[in-house]
Amino acid sequence: MDGIHDLGGKQGFGRVDVDEPEEAFHSDWEARAYGIVRAMKKAPDWTLDKFRFTREQIEPADYLTRPYYDQWLQSYAALMVGAGVASVEEIASGHAKTGPASLGPAPDPVSVAAEQKQAGVTFARPGSAPAFSVGDKVLTKPHAHGGHTRLPSYIRGHIGEIAHVRGAFIFPDDSAAGIERAEPLYTVAFKASDIWPGEGLSHMVLLDLWESYLDLA
Amino acid sequence: MSEHENKSAGEVHHELHSHLPPEPALRVKAMESLLVEKGMLDTDTVDAWIEVYAEKVGPKSGARIVAKAWVDPAFREQLLENGTQAVKELDDAGWAVAHLKVIENTPHLHNLVVCTLCSCYPHAILGPPPNWYKMAAYRSRAVRDPRGVLDEFGVRLADDIELLVWDSTSELRYLVLPERPGGTEGWDEEKLASIVTRNSMIGTQRDLSLDEGAS
Repeated sequence: MDGIHDLGGKQGFGRVDVDEPEEAFHSDWEARAYGIVRAMKKAPDWTLDKFRFTREQIEPADYLTRPYYDQWLQSYAALMVGAGVASVEEIASGHAKTGPASLGPAPDPVSVAAEQKQAGVTFARPGSAPAFSVGDKVLTKPHAHGGHTRLPSYIRGHIGEIAHVRGAFIFPDDSAAGIERAEPLYTVAFKASDIWPGEGLSHMVLLDLWESYLDLA
Repeated sequence: MSEHENKSAGEVHHELHSHLPPEPALRVKAMESLLVEKGMLDTDTVDAWIEVYAEKVGPKSGARIVAKAWVDPAFREQLLENGTQAVKELDDAGWAVAHLKVIENTPHLHNLVVCTLCSCYPHAILGPPPNWYKMAAYRSRAVRDPRGVLDEFGVRLADDIELLVWDSTSELRYLVLPERPGGTEGWDEEKLASIVTRNSMIGTQRDLSLDEGAS
């Protein structure tokens, strides 16, 4: 989706707030929101990509101005409404009009330590052999589609070089739509001067891109 | 099923925008009480997660990894080769991310990490990302004007230093291994870890100061 979230290379957003205090949370509500999102029972068909796609569809003005964890919560609220687990009215009032959601028990405090002991959730899956090798020149697709994608607009239609072949990973465009399918993933290096010519740029930009975003150049 | 079954997420967001109180703290309170009533949330579990991220997980975990890489060449090699496996073998195994890629700064090379599409970041090693990492200014400019961004962080990158900007578009999580500063010969891991900053592991700081470690 060519949404407001696709920010790479956009201009006009001003300086970075480099003086932000270095602390995990800046207020009690931020910490609470973070904790709620980590602790809440998710619907069985929840995926990280579905969550990301939901956040991408927040009203553009809200996306740019509302606090980050507030957007997380609103996205979970939207997912709950979409799954038929809660209504907008219930979310606004904070009280259930219908009975409990039948999603199984909520995670208990013991699960926190257990989850920390795991070495993270893996997104690697068995998949087809990679079609490209390190050093190959590849051309990114010129356009995307209306769903979720991890091919940013600033890199579309450009030629880069395969820097790493990473193995097969869950394909986010399908995962956001509830389909689990794996594809080879590559880290592709692009010259910034190819993407934004005439700006005197000398750096490289590297992106992780799935095979179906690419053609041999 | 819900009356919203056929609405797009965008339409649902529009309704939420219209009906939810504007103050984030009130939204959080309402969401928490509803989730408890729906049987989807245990408030003790919320407390437990907050405690983990406010007190246990944070840049200190990353700093330990960096310090170990500085003193232990075999660990450094493994870390660069397979970050996930290397970190898994540390005694606090479990703070790892599943797909950790460690990228090394050298006298001739600097690495900078961004997520232009959302806010991908190695939470399990660095804690929650700073707000600036998640906001439009950094996300839009880090790929196009990284030297300008670095300048705002006080990093004056010489023209002959190669600059690589890593846009985290997949589930791979990038961690910058900063250079060990001179004048730290003979320091133990703990003292070395004390000078490693969060920003140096994102790439928005290059030269580490010895001040903190000396104190």
